[in-house]
Amino acid sequence: MRAAYKLVLTLLFCGFSFSAAWGQCPARPASGTVVQDALSLYSQNGVLNAGLNLGYSVDQYGYTHYCYRYQSSNGVVESPTLRVNPGDKLMLNVTDSIPTNSPDGRNGMHMHAAAPAGTTCGDGGTATLQSTNVHFHGLNVPPTCHQDDVLTTLIQPGDGPFQYSIQIPTTEPPGLYWYHPHVHGFTEFQVNGGAAGALVVEGMDKVRPEVSGLPERVFVIRQQYLVPWVPGPYQLTINYQTTTAPGNPLTPIIQMKPGQKEFWRVANATLQDFMPVQVLVNGAPEQLELVALDGYPLSATRMENTILIPPAGRAEFIVTAPASGGSGTFQTLAYNTGLTGNADILQAFATIQLVDDNSAAKAPVNPIAPGPKMSLDGIKFAGLKNAAPTASRSLFFSEEFGGTNGPIQFYVTVDGQKQVVFNPNEAPAITTKVGAVEDWTIENRALETHAFHIHQIHFMMLEVDGKAVPNDMRDTIEIPYWTGSGPYHSVKVRMDFTDPTIAGTFVFHCHILLHEDLGMMHKILVQP
Amino acid sequence: MPAKLLRCRVVPALFLLCIFPIAAMAGSTPSYVVTNDDSPGFFPVSATFYGVGSTGLLTLDKFVTLTGSGIAGGYFNANRVVALNSSNNQCIFASAAANGEITGISVSTLEIGGSATGSSSDTGLSNGVGLAVNNQYLYAGYTDSSNIGTFQVQSGCSLTFISDVATTGLQGGFISGMKIHGNMMVVTYGDGSIESFNIANGPPVPNGDQQNSTAYNTSQGASYPNGVDITQDGHFAIFGDTATSNSIEVSDISSGKLAATVAYNVGAQINSSNIMLSPDETLLYIANTQGDALTAAFFNATTGALTPGCTSNNLKAYGTAWSYLAGIATETNTGTGGMIYAAEFGLKSSIAMIQVASANGKCTLTESTKSPVFDPDSQGLLSITSFPPRSF
Repeated sequence: MRAAYKLVLTLLFCGFSFSAAWGQCPARPASGTVVQDALSLYSQNGVLNAGLNLGYSVDQYGYTHYCYRYQSSNGVVESPTLRVNPGDKLMLNVTDSIPTNSPDGRNGMHMHAAAPAGTTCGDGGTATLQSTNVHFHGLNVPPTCHQDDVLTTLIQPGDGPFQYSIQIPTTEPPGLYWYHPHVHGFTEFQVNGGAAGALVVEGMDKVRPEVSGLPERVFVIRQQYLVPWVPGPYQLTINYQTTTAPGNPLTPIIQMKPGQKEFWRVANATLQDFMPVQVLVNGAPEQLELVALDGYPLSATRMENTILIPPAGRAEFIVTAPASGGSGTFQTLAYNTGLTGNADILQAFATIQLVDDNSAAKAPVNPIAPGPKMSLDGIKFAGLKNAAPTASRSLFFSEEFGGTNGPIQFYVTVDGQKQVVFNPNEAPAITTKVGAVEDWTIENRALETHAFHIHQIHFMMLEVDGKAVPNDMRDTIEIPYWTGSGPYHSVKVRMDFTDPTIAGTFVFHCHILLHEDLGMMHKILVQP
Repeated sequence: MPAKLLRCRVVPALFLLCIFPIAAMAGSTPSYVVTNDDSPGFFPVSATFYGVGSTGLLTLDKFVTLTGSGIAGGYFNANRVVALNSSNNQCIFASAAANGEITGISVSTLEIGGSATGSSSDTGLSNGVGLAVNNQYLYAGYTDSSNIGTFQVQSGCSLTFISDVATTGLQGGFISGMKIHGNMMVVTYGDGSIESFNIANGPPVPNGDQQNSTAYNTSQGASYPNGVDITQDGHFAIFGDTATSNSIEVSDISSGKLAATVAYNVGAQINSSNIMLSPDETLLYIANTQGDALTAAFFNATTGALTPGCTSNNLKAYGTAWSYLAGIATETNTGTGGMIYAAEFGLKSSIAMIQVASANGKCTLTESTKSPVFDPDSQGLLSITSFPPRSF
């Protein structure tokens, strides 16, 4: 009996110690409750200094959670919103506490060696499911060690803190960005579990005065598959609260004052969900005032009742709450990604609940402080429309299936080059020089929709399927699937490599994360 | 009698003497299109026989229930059903992926003649069991073990297992496509490599010509040989590549070994894993696995050269039930083959029926208004054949 008691104590102790060493993820909000913004961390005196710890746990339904843990004064919270100003420094200390003997049986899972031979940043070991790093999606910052480098940076469990030290350009566009792991071969696992957070470059009200003084909300939509590489049921979450989905009748709640205008900043941090988002008011789609896409303010706001946000994209818009007695729903429509694509289904993110100002349950909002106006001419890529391109390139997405069970190869290819999957040790598929301005036409020759993303810079939209479109600045753009006949769908975009600080090697890829992990990615070298 | 006149009388007489018995025999030979439904064990596991009408349209004739169990998926080009039409055996052989069992079915009775398995590791749970057959032997490519199993074909369509030969591709690939001609078997490994074997004595013996294909080595496409066919005279082996376009490769095998392949790109459709020469060898039919269209390329049987031909519209099932296109069969064994049949893997597995017209260097492929025919027992149709089979 005593021996058994000792054994139980030992097991409990070991279990506790093990759990603590793992860095388990905080409990996530219950379904059907009020949606809360993540904790915001603000820069002080030009510096935002924070520590994030990548944690891991499995919930009672079997979903694997990965999380950015932040030790706040009120305990551990998940994926804080990082708020910086143009010109600030972001100092982020990242540690990795994923268990090296993860209970899901994937310990030691190796794919490609992530770090190219001869160049490492952080840990020089081999990339595994437990390795991590951070990509600051959308930031126009250097692709170098300790900044936004995903090719050589590796952080392993047990390593000391790895410090990211990022100088936010003074001309950085104000808007919504996001951060997430980006170890080639394993990105999907960690993002699937929820390791993603919002990053706001402040100052939107200075260039888009329409948002001045409005309550602001940041919604991060994430996606969870039980097994991310197996098609099947998935959950979308809004700020970690499970949205309405089969098997979950409880809808998250967004509380608004009747008729109130709010500034919503929505990040699509899903693995692969293309989201045509709407706000239904009394059952009909509301005209939303679109302010910014992918963290870049539009030259003028425009009214849209459906805003398509591809995986990794962001949209910032002004919403007007239903009048008193009305009803509202924030939702994504279904989206056809092609016959070999994933089924992106209609889901309600949240129900809008009208409350008065004095309601105790009212969700906290963060009014934007009005400030002196700025011109869009003062931010990066201003004037790109009139720049003379120095080169043109054609790229295409393609896929190849050897059977219904695979092997499947996912390619993004510079036209004229051999279709190959990404190899960390490959030579850059594209080499250009600082100062170049290039027009790229990107086709989709596959039967499913892809999402093109390039690191380090935004690009300007020029054409879709050969027709001129508004010159929005984007960092991720959808390219619809080929039907099997007729011309391929395409986008034409303008790339600006004039900033000498982005010299170096970085990547472009499909932001359907399975595709990226399986090699639908290549390097670009921008020579100084 | 002038020689010219003699020829006029004798030749038709000889023609009638020679052809009449064949025609009479043909009249007694049933015509079928057969699918191997290869369904998992909790579904009906069967080979489905369709009667072929005078216009090439199909009518479901009989389900022949198999004792094995399948997987309803796998490699597109692994032929899970093959036909044998020898003087003493008219059989359909169908493989079951999950347990590796191969069943012989008598065409005259549509009854099972027997079934057999290879060694304990000989299964195709991962990607199916491909088959190739001649009058004496049946060969099974097991995608789990990468063995080629050799079976003696017995009278009454039963099989006797002889032995396995272990194979592997140059990049570690597993056995994928197989085709036999005379004493030669040509295989693909799904990793860019191809190889031929001598089967004069039954079990395959390597010919020492294993090599990577030209398209795999050098082309801009990410191509690797998968499906394989061989010309009637045994001069050329033709490979349908798994690729992002219609990538076809041709190897001269007249020496008894594979020569370096010549790569052709005959269209922008997606994938060319499944191919089949028309009976008159003027056209190569290519199932565009993704996108669900059929392409025909012109083939020069003298030189082995391919030139672009025509492509059907997306087949109808593509719009109504998500599908891949895989195995190909023809209605007749003459000319361009009459109606072309293609296996459609999808929510409702079906057989597409496509009419071909070819003249003066141009062709068209048009899906029949009666197409597709649903294959009710199949959970994921990939393989199809016709009986009597093409003679080569």
